[in-house]
Amino acid sequence: MFRLLKGFGITLNYFRKRKVTIQYPEEKVAMPERFRGIHRFFPDKCIVCDLCVKVCPTDVITLTGKKSEENPKKKIIDTYNIDFQGCILCDFCTEVCPTDAIVMTARYDNLSSFNRSTHFKDIEWLTNNHAYGYYEESEPAPEAGRRGEVK
Amino acid sequence: MSIKTEEMVLNMGPQHPSTHGVFRLKLHVNGETITKAEPVMGYLHRGSEKLAENFIYTQFIPYTDRLDYLNAMTNNYIYCAGVEKLLDWEIPERAEYLRVITMELNRIASHLVWWGTYLLDIGALSPFLYAFRDRDICLDRLNEISGARMTFNYMRIGGVKWDAPDGWIEKVKESVKELRENIAEYDRLVTGNEIFRARTIGVGKLTKDQVINWGLSGPIARGSGVNVDLRKTEPYSIYDRFDFDVPTREEGDVFARYKVRIAEMHESLKIIEQACEQIPSEGDIIHKKGARIMMIKPPAGEAYTRAEASKGEIGVYVVSNAKTKPYRVKLRRPSFVNVSILQDMLVGENIQNLVAIFGSLDVVLGEVDA
Repeated sequence: MFRLLKGFGITLNYFRKRKVTIQYPEEKVAMPERFRGIHRFFPDKCIVCDLCVKVCPTDVITLTGKKSEENPKKKIIDTYNIDFQGCILCDFCTEVCPTDAIVMTARYDNLSSFNRSTHFKDIEWLTNNHAYGYYEESEPAPEAGRRGEVK
Repeated sequence: MSIKTEEMVLNMGPQHPSTHGVFRLKLHVNGETITKAEPVMGYLHRGSEKLAENFIYTQFIPYTDRLDYLNAMTNNYIYCAGVEKLLDWEIPERAEYLRVITMELNRIASHLVWWGTYLLDIGALSPFLYAFRDRDICLDRLNEISGARMTFNYMRIGGVKWDAPDGWIEKVKESVKELRENIAEYDRLVTGNEIFRARTIGVGKLTKDQVINWGLSGPIARGSGVNVDLRKTEPYSIYDRFDFDVPTREEGDVFARYKVRIAEMHESLKIIEQACEQIPSEGDIIHKKGARIMMIKPPAGEAYTRAEASKGEIGVYVVSNAKTKPYRVKLRRPSFVNVSILQDMLVGENIQNLVAIFGSLDVVLGEVDA
């Protein structure tokens, strides 16, 4: 019986300690810089090397390129899609990307929807997925640096 | 007057809150006594072993996260270690230390989930909240270094993916202090509690013979007096450099397993503390060939490696035929082996004790079904 009361004593002790609960939808947890959140895509950096497609374990990335009008030797990106129904956010696409054209943001809450087909995200959505590294949307969109050091 | 009785078949699961996943237990009960128990598994089967054959070596690492998702670091490690054994690569010092720190942090997180949910299963609500508060400390540290809270995908063949961010080691040292205080508090909160003791002492006994015959490992084996911990008996990585004990208990009941896990968390904290002291301040974190993840091609051969996960002995058997994809990957998942004891152990038990016994095995269904 004594030990039972001792346990209650610990519970009561917590009345005078600080709260650890985060009121989620109102208050959001800021994820660290390396957090592997929803992707962001930079079309001007992409060199259409197809490495992200090859390395993706779940085959959710599809892309097509076209010839650049200014420099016919260069290729530029035409379409770039990620199907988030299958994406496991493993980060291999950003790891192999030689130009950091695809990066991962610290954002984790803008994918839920009522419809499966809306999980298919195209180049426009991925380009406009701001909030790089921080939670709030800031204007102008912050420049993406290299996250972590090692590739 | 005699009453006609007959055996009843009762299905527990596949959707049952105390199975922590999709697991079905076919029970034959006579009154309240279990006469036969038949585990039915495979509801979460994803064919991980077969999937591995179609992946290049590195691509399979995120899939090992999803075996035992509560203790993903060790799964990452053991797969990488298997391939490294084939490649015969030497792992940089700093990478080894980072591996050990993250693995032990993850072991604590895994045991904390067990501690919280087990007490929830047997009817105590508030310990769950304490456990998840402390687990969050571990997960925050792992999130900072690996970028994910559960499916870390942090290890790479030949080292680790990222170096520790600035000040991370100091943060870990502080977390260790905080966790040590909090885990010591658990003893006062729960371990001495009369209701808890009445519920667990003498329940679900496993003898030493049963443990050895069924090939059980981890805290279940150590709770029955089988002193087996691969970190000590067959030191892998750099575990031979640390000073820690292997907690064992002779009783073999649910309470013994509980005590072993609590003691193991303290031992893990000891290891983390020592690793944080010993870690070289700089150095490579990946083998020089390991960073090019598309190019890893081990020579033909086979390798088996094993390690001590939070649930027991995890092993990986990799066969290579000198191509970029493995020929065969076999996973020895501790939960799968441990759950098989149920059919032997539950016979003759009361149906009221079923959840208390099943919970004490600490089974993760992602690992059972792979």
